[in-house]
Amino acid sequence: MGGAAVKPAPFAYASPTTLDEALALVGNESRPLAGGQSLVPMLNFRLARPERLVDLERVEGLASLREDGGSLRIGAMTRHAAIERSRVVAEGWPLLRQAVVLVGHPQIRSRGTIGGSLAHADPKAELPVALAALGARYHVRSTRGARTIAALDLALGPLMTTLAPDELLVEIEVPALPPGARTAFVERARTHGDFAIAGVAAVRAPGHAAIALLGAAPKPVRAPAIEAALINGDELPAPEVDDAYQRALLTALIERAIA
Amino acid sequence: MSWIGRAVPRREDEPILRGEARYLDDLHVDGVLHAAFVRSPFARARVTGVSAPAGLTVLTASEVPGTLLVEGRPDLELTDAPHPLLAGDEVRYAGQPVALVLASSRALAEDAAELVEVDYDPLDAVVDPRAASETLLRFEKRSGDVEGAFAAAAHVVRARHAIPRVAAAPMETRGVLAEPAGGGLRVWASAQDVHRTRAGLAHALALDPAAIRVTLPEVGGAFGSKGTPSPETASVAAAALRLGRPVKWAEDRFENFLAAYQGRGMEAEVELALDAGGRILAVRAHIVADLGAYLLGNTAAPPHTCAMLMCGCYAIPAAAVTVVGARTDKVPTGPCRGAGRPEAAAFLELTVDRAARELGLDPVELRRRNVIRAFPHETPLGFVYDSGDYERCMDLAVELVEPEHGDEGDRIVATGVALYVERAGGQFEEARVAVEADGHVVATAGSGPHGQGHATTFAQIVADALGIEPGAVGVRLGDSDAGLDGIGTFASRTTAMAGSALLLAARRLRERLDAGETGPLSEQARFSSDQVFGSGAYAAVVEIERATGELRVRRIAAVDDAGTIVNPLLAHGQVCGGTVHGLGAALTEEMVHNEDGQPTTASFLDYSLLTAAELPDIRAEFVQSPSPRNPLGAKGIGEGGAIGTPAAIGNAVAAALGGRHVDPPYTAEKLWAALR
Repeated sequence: MGGAAVKPAPFAYASPTTLDEALALVGNESRPLAGGQSLVPMLNFRLARPERLVDLERVEGLASLREDGGSLRIGAMTRHAAIERSRVVAEGWPLLRQAVVLVGHPQIRSRGTIGGSLAHADPKAELPVALAALGARYHVRSTRGARTIAALDLALGPLMTTLAPDELLVEIEVPALPPGARTAFVERARTHGDFAIAGVAAVRAPGHAAIALLGAAPKPVRAPAIEAALINGDELPAPEVDDAYQRALLTALIERAIA
Repeated sequence: MSWIGRAVPRREDEPILRGEARYLDDLHVDGVLHAAFVRSPFARARVTGVSAPAGLTVLTASEVPGTLLVEGRPDLELTDAPHPLLAGDEVRYAGQPVALVLASSRALAEDAAELVEVDYDPLDAVVDPRAASETLLRFEKRSGDVEGAFAAAAHVVRARHAIPRVAAAPMETRGVLAEPAGGGLRVWASAQDVHRTRAGLAHALALDPAAIRVTLPEVGGAFGSKGTPSPETASVAAAALRLGRPVKWAEDRFENFLAAYQGRGMEAEVELALDAGGRILAVRAHIVADLGAYLLGNTAAPPHTCAMLMCGCYAIPAAAVTVVGARTDKVPTGPCRGAGRPEAAAFLELTVDRAARELGLDPVELRRRNVIRAFPHETPLGFVYDSGDYERCMDLAVELVEPEHGDEGDRIVATGVALYVERAGGQFEEARVAVEADGHVVATAGSGPHGQGHATTFAQIVADALGIEPGAVGVRLGDSDAGLDGIGTFASRTTAMAGSALLLAARRLRERLDAGETGPLSEQARFSSDQVFGSGAYAAVVEIERATGELRVRRIAAVDDAGTIVNPLLAHGQVCGGTVHGLGAALTEEMVHNEDGQPTTASFLDYSLLTAAELPDIRAEFVQSPSPRNPLGAKGIGEGGAIGTPAAIGNAVAAALGGRHVDPPYTAEKLWAALR
């Protein structure tokens, strides 16, 4: 093992360069390390104590961002900053840009990755909510094979996902927006750059509405009753949230998002 | 040409901005051991055993005995409950240091600390100060016919306010490097001053103060939280003595949230007796302070200051105050920027606004009928205010803030005004001004800085007295071996006290120079004075969104009377910094302990500091009523913003809510609930 002592509890470290090597290394006590913006603080607090970190930094082919047959394909190691600056994203998937600029501060966005955000499954994270509104699909690999997870089926709750310990999220596929779509991401945070208390991702187009909520549940959710009301031009129902304040906040944010 | 009142840029900034400033953690001495602490995970427990694998260097209370210094005061009833360096057979707050582990690096020391096993018998924790059975402090003061005034009053107004605990959260956390030296110690500490650090260590280690030399490296802020040496600092110094090796501790942010003493944490019931014309006849206040588990050297200061300031800026003939300092199973409290003054301002000023609402008077008009206009003014509680122009501060603040009130449909807009008076200065400081053999002028003071800009200000004062440029004055600070006694940098006292000592020394030197003396010359002065009383008025315009309760501060007016302003640039910086500190206390900051006494806000994830994006327009002006108590006429400016701002915001919020009561921080959720 060797190496200098560091702030976290002792751990082994691997830095594979190919996806196959990485897949062979991850498992129960081996955790993948992406941009480290959530995991490293947890390591420093010694709340996370993996036996081994598998650093995905040098794995080839995980940081691409391209349009492919009308869909957007984003490698899991793509930095928030790359999404923020991408013309392809700005022109075809503006909701992602509207959401990503609300993630932390520039320093965090220059290191943090979209795959790390999704796999960490913090219920206050913006990108998983935007991707839920966009109907994204998550491509997952393991030594056992490949599978695809629908956006709403990844997170189970705070810091819990349906990913098996030996699986890696490798790519995010975002379908094209419907013609004439307009999008918005609005949130309320205590301070600029803080995690959101509540947020709304909205996509509207003729005959189409997608509303995804942050702060309604311990994971991203869609609001089908509100979506139906928007499509039918009915009065909007209140979001289905138990907490009265969160309901009031989300109601106000939904109004702002669709204004 | 006078250098007093000139906006001279800070000479301190360039090395800091170039990355050349050396903070505690930048210091290295050969052979140093690094310390990590084993801390209690329980708020209250009996400690029944400590064990560690062979080969670790672990010190416990049996190797490092002793307690920290608590100086008694004749007017305060203090319980004998000093903080032990390391916990003995009981722990009384989550985070209390139990053992000290030493290794060749901080990281290895943390690894080793995890191998230390401590056996605890957990006990129920006392979290609510009102439910505490033990007290650490009692104080009571009264003067005038309080009962008669309340019996005869046309109106009696009662209010209850609570101000939560806050973290000082300096950018640089605490730390110390201690090296054995000739039977004593050489100590570098991230501290507010050298004198209290040396006195505190001498007491804790039973050493002659002369055997300890304390030096301040660059210190990245304290906001009151590095005034009295911590149990960790004393334990590290004790370890260095015992092992005969240099030992260093640079705490991390988590430790700072857990174990650095916290501020505020006071509740009060305030009653005002008013006559039919709106004149305040008497004030009565009962204050409960959540002092935490032990008395530190300065734990008693904030509640005492708060109680003594309960007459505020008003000519109130009779007053009665009581303080109960409750012992709770939480980290101790101590000064945090304002240190009792923000609490007093909020308790009194929010009650004055309540009185205005109940009497149907404009709050500014009610204040106008009661402000003190003649100085010196002795309050019934015994403070003697030296000078001021409270009414002018108030009128200027109202003018600057451009008040707005009204219902804008989706939001309510309201303005709040608050006055404050604060005690500053007092006691003594020593300083020396010399012409050295090479002809250079050097000013040396016992008082050291932790970010304020002492060197810039001191150079101006000396240059002004000698008739030279400030750039020609070298300044030496922060060394207990400089041969200069003093108290330290706290309570907005440095310009008034150390600045005046320098001025006296420089004037004497000037006389000798004018008399034709040459060669190395040195003059030393000691300046003592009674406290001085700075004052001010703050006003804020806020808007509250009905649908979400979100509060936005549209603008804030800050008018401070700190007597003579030596450097308006630095003073303006202090006002802005203090105002932002006060805004944080009003809007987001709160240290929360759950029912088991566990802190739930022990990182910046949960403890919310404001960012630049949240800051409103700050319109700051000075009124200058020189103090007659020192030759500069100076008072103090480091705390005004932190004192006036929360009270002004509180009054604006209360006005917006039509008087419905909410305690700070004024979070959106609380305001939304109050609007329902």
